[in-house]
Amino acid sequence: MAEATAPKPSSSVKLVLLGEAAVGKSSLVLRFVNNDFQENKEPTIGAAFLTQKCNLPTRTIKFEIWDTAGQERFASLAPMYYRNAQSALVVYDLTKPTSLVKAKHWVAELQRQASPGIVIALVGNKLDLTNESASSSNNLGDDSEGDATEGEADDGDARKVSTAEAKSYAEEEGLLFFETSAKNGTNVSEVFTAIANAIPETSLKGARGPGATQAASRTEDQSRVNLTGPRDSAAKDTCAC
Amino acid sequence: MESLSDTRWDVVISGTGLRHSLLALALSRSNKKILHVDENDYYGGPEAAFSLQEVDEWVEELGKAPTSTLFRNASIWKSEEETSTDSPTLSFSRAYTLTLSPQIIYTKSKLLSRLVSSKVYRQLEFQAVGNWWIYNAEEAVLKRLPNGREDIFQDKNIDNRAKRNLMKFLKFVVDYENQTDVWEAQSESGLDIFLSSKFNFPAHLQIVITALTLSLAPPSETSVKWALPRIARHLTSIGLFGPGFGAVVPKWGGGAEISQVACRAGAVGGGVYVLGTGIENVKVVEAEDTESPAFHLALSNGEAVGTKLYVHEATDKDNGGITTVSKAISIISSSVPSLFRSTVEGSPLAAVSVVVFPPMSLQIADGIQSDPVYIMVHSSETGECPAGQSVLYSTTKSSSLSKIVLQAALESLMNRVPNQGKLLYTLYYEQTAPSGSPLDLSFDDQLLEQVEAQWREVMAEKANEESFMQFEERKGMEAEEEDDNDY
Repeated sequence: MAEATAPKPSSSVKLVLLGEAAVGKSSLVLRFVNNDFQENKEPTIGAAFLTQKCNLPTRTIKFEIWDTAGQERFASLAPMYYRNAQSALVVYDLTKPTSLVKAKHWVAELQRQASPGIVIALVGNKLDLTNESASSSNNLGDDSEGDATEGEADDGDARKVSTAEAKSYAEEEGLLFFETSAKNGTNVSEVFTAIANAIPETSLKGARGPGATQAASRTEDQSRVNLTGPRDSAAKDTCAC
Repeated sequence: MESLSDTRWDVVISGTGLRHSLLALALSRSNKKILHVDENDYYGGPEAAFSLQEVDEWVEELGKAPTSTLFRNASIWKSEEETSTDSPTLSFSRAYTLTLSPQIIYTKSKLLSRLVSSKVYRQLEFQAVGNWWIYNAEEAVLKRLPNGREDIFQDKNIDNRAKRNLMKFLKFVVDYENQTDVWEAQSESGLDIFLSSKFNFPAHLQIVITALTLSLAPPSETSVKWALPRIARHLTSIGLFGPGFGAVVPKWGGGAEISQVACRAGAVGGGVYVLGTGIENVKVVEAEDTESPAFHLALSNGEAVGTKLYVHEATDKDNGGITTVSKAISIISSSVPSLFRSTVEGSPLAAVSVVVFPPMSLQIADGIQSDPVYIMVHSSETGECPAGQSVLYSTTKSSSLSKIVLQAALESLMNRVPNQGKLLYTLYYEQTAPSGSPLDLSFDDQLLEQVEAQWREVMAEKANEESFMQFEERKGMEAEEEDDNDY
């Protein structure tokens, strides 16, 4: 990811990662953040929190990524993760139809409970297990429609969820939609860039904390109290008597 | 993780209220195996925050279990005018975050420094508590309390003699610990007697000073030894984080927000979180050695777990002090800008104003208002309501009249502010304090001390090597490349 040269406005965006266990949520983030992939990765133990910047032409978005890692069974991390989250990445495994069912449950819960303006991206991962992956990079157009008949794995295609099915669901629900491969990187950064672009300007808050760009967000954060900042101007008003 | 029973837990924490969430935060870097459960299907316990729909569910649940909880007699009132398109109405359910814990946090509170030292403050946004107003019954107006020394000098309503006395008192109170000779003999007496005998304060000044303590009792029942540290805290907090304010609130739902941020830190540290699961049965067992579980817990989801330590929410009733308060959470269709107007240059835009109705200042049909009423007015800046509306958190000591008193205070407030708007919604309830956490309108650092004590118990001898809630920045927090093996 390129370094920002000119000072651009920088905003933090909270992103929550949801989906059934073993669909590749952590791998997607690992690819996005480190551009790395680990074969046969162990299930994530403990919840993960990572940040990654995404440079857009006019601004920098700093994703704060919350991964429910390893605790999917209890579904208890999600509610506090999606509280005030501006974006959610709901992941399914396109070789496993039940994972799309689970993904739809998450979408419904987000629409019911999360912030009203939340940007949701539906992501079908493990594109590398289909036989389109070798040639295709990110063309998710209509050309792949219908050619994924279920259970036809003799040609090395493990796809069980057709692009058309997931795509039409995503369109109905107003979700961003991508098919990705965390393994070879297909479409991964595109997902995050698309989310960054879809976040409405009005819901962008200034960078958090004193470590982040200080000057840029002063005016839009008039009510924010800085717990660590300089206290000089205040001194004389202290009622020391 | 297939089953909770497969793990030998070091600590099982039951309840995600502020106290236990802060404990989870304190233990988040301890490498202990922590299971954190809550019988509710939401975070925050007695400090939770709700959408309107969640309030409905909460009230319904309370109705089903009226005795087993710290909350009771909850009821909801909604404005019924929905016919006219011009009249202001409630927005949709999720446009609101009504918090059960609108406590203000003084800038001097150790909670803030712990949130900074534990690095979770980055996930929080704090806003200023601006003006304090006191209702003057004779003139039927709200008067702004002076905000520090210069304000008092400029106040034309205070005569010079009173100003001198006030200055003398302020000078004393910020140094009260070193001036025990002034107050120790009267430490148990009422604040009114102390203020009039030592500082010649007339009744109205006694009331103003008592208001600064946020005492739920009248001045005569507010003891000197309890009040002095609180007045000192109020005065010495002003200006600490910027001009014009001495207290803050977390955006997006007060204590509920801190509790969730603390639990998130617990989860990032490896803690396992299970909502909607309580502890049904606790069996204390003779531990064979220090590595064996000392508690066998039966969870309400049917699983059984063993743990070395078990931390649970105290639900027994406290016997000392004020134990039950009546509260109202109201939504009004006005942003009441006059309450938030800043008089101090360079101060941040305040999100909260405090309005105090002293004892006997309100007209009550069948009786007298013996205790003060406090209303914390939250602007839409808090993220708790849509723009153009405000959320009013009213509190008074519980009595047979308290609901009427709260209504009178609300009505009085709405009549005193221009463009008053309309009352759209009120949630009324009573709350009883569990022992060890008194009902306080400001965050009480005692709670943090309890958390530290529990942390020491869990950490045992390791507590001596580490500092309470003192953490390094997590790698992921930086924008730098992650080369750690967190994955």
